[in-house]
Amino acid sequence: MLAEQIVNGIVMGSLYALIAQGYTLVFGVLDKLNFAHGEIFMLGGYIGVSSVALGASIPLALLLVMIVCGALGLLVEFVSFRKFRSHDAHITSALSSFAFGLVVLDLVQKSWGTEPVAIELPQTLRVANLEFLGVHFSLVKLSILGIALVLMAALHLAIARTSLGRSIRAVAESATSASLYGINVTRVIQLVFLLASALAGFAGVALAIRTGFASSDVGFTLGIKALAIMAIGGMGDLRGAFLGGLMIGVLEALAFQWGFGQLADTGVWLFMIFVLLVRPTGLFAARSSKEARA
Amino acid sequence: MAWKSAMTESAFLDVQDLHVAYGPIKAVRGCSLTVAEGETVAIVGANGAGKSTLLRAVCNLIPRASGKVFFAGSPTAVIPTHVLARRDGMLFVPEDRAVLRTLTVLENLRLSHDARPLGRPFEKATEEVFGHFPRLQERADQPAGSLSGGEQQMLTLARALVSPPRILLLDEPSLGLSPRLVREVYAILRDFRKRGMTMLLVEQNVRAALRFAHRAYVLRQGTIVQQGTGEALLADSGLFRQYLGVH
Repeated sequence: MLAEQIVNGIVMGSLYALIAQGYTLVFGVLDKLNFAHGEIFMLGGYIGVSSVALGASIPLALLLVMIVCGALGLLVEFVSFRKFRSHDAHITSALSSFAFGLVVLDLVQKSWGTEPVAIELPQTLRVANLEFLGVHFSLVKLSILGIALVLMAALHLAIARTSLGRSIRAVAESATSASLYGINVTRVIQLVFLLASALAGFAGVALAIRTGFASSDVGFTLGIKALAIMAIGGMGDLRGAFLGGLMIGVLEALAFQWGFGQLADTGVWLFMIFVLLVRPTGLFAARSSKEARA
Repeated sequence: MAWKSAMTESAFLDVQDLHVAYGPIKAVRGCSLTVAEGETVAIVGANGAGKSTLLRAVCNLIPRASGKVFFAGSPTAVIPTHVLARRDGMLFVPEDRAVLRTLTVLENLRLSHDARPLGRPFEKATEEVFGHFPRLQERADQPAGSLSGGEQQMLTLARALVSPPRILLLDEPSLGLSPRLVREVYAILRDFRKRGMTMLLVEQNVRAALRFAHRAYVLRQGTIVQQGTGEALLADSGLFRQYLGVH
């Protein structure tokens, strides 16, 4: 039972990590927080549920969601960040992206209603599981975990080894220096929003598949919690977001296992406050975060 | 190298009546200058004369209040900095060198090469670079931020070797370096000059700049007050007293 809960925690943690990495990517290149990110994650769940209802297979639904959410990320960049790149515009971009997220939330509630919408999964998929050392693990959850880990590994490799990754790191360090190296800073920032939002969309569908429904609450609850996880892991640090996500996922699962589930959300926020007080760079950041250097 | 006066041939870089202001403060007031292809031109002047501002405005890092800049015959007014760097080969090295400190030495070189590969594989380009800068090869996998000031300046010059620019704009290449390193930097720049690289440099180290440049402009309070060959300006002791505050 404990092993099953820990795996549940790791699955949920991998989704937290995906969303947190989206926050951290944007924070890395712009030094700003994208408050629309949680609602794009939420929207991903609804588009996924509707795609499946219209006959799309799960892989096709995932692909569609990543395309639509990625495109929406481009729109967020254009509307809420393009004009507010200066260091003095933190509040303006935060307010604008927050408002953008609220518009997405309102449109979702007007389109799908305020009640959760169930996803229609084939019965065989719903009950399929793997047995290991006498413990049953849901195949769906393991698949979600597997794909999430592959996506994050691909993102890590892309950032570390590819030309695009070098450009992203260059812009994250200094947009001025990057432009002197011939890097199109606007294009790099667009790509970061596209990637971050596509990953959030994936996490939205994955959550709907895991829980069995899409809900309009998750942008505010889980989406914002991922923001705390980013801070706990280390702002602007992908590895920190990954480890922070898994850690919070497992700790939450253990809290539920031991009867403290009601305190899980409060615990995460208190933990974030504690971490920011004693180690503002986050628990896992390899170097000082931009925020701590400022 | 036989060098002809810029006045006798069309200008490669042509700055016409450039004005730059920071709010109410006019930093550059109607500067006009030319650089011919293959020529080395220096802009000298006391601290705060507007030298760095002029270079930054030429590569569109800061907006111009008015005036025109032509590069290779084309106006640059609406061309973003990254396009000037990538497409037009205008490499600007600011005073703080602007190396990417969190990227390794090799990654800094690779980004420069990727921007303008010029049909040469990266491995071949770095072979030449490391031949000139063996110290950089030793530190190839270290973050550029861990290099000393002199090594960082070497890295900025190595960028010009890995992907030779059409014009190199250098802001204070000797700033903060020991006399030995200054000599090393100028030895490398002389090598660039021999290769025919077009250079426009800004310097507070007036004598080093005038000895090095074919021609120079003297800037005072945002205005060009004198110009001539490096040799002629170097011989003008009045210039040093009147405009540069040195004897």
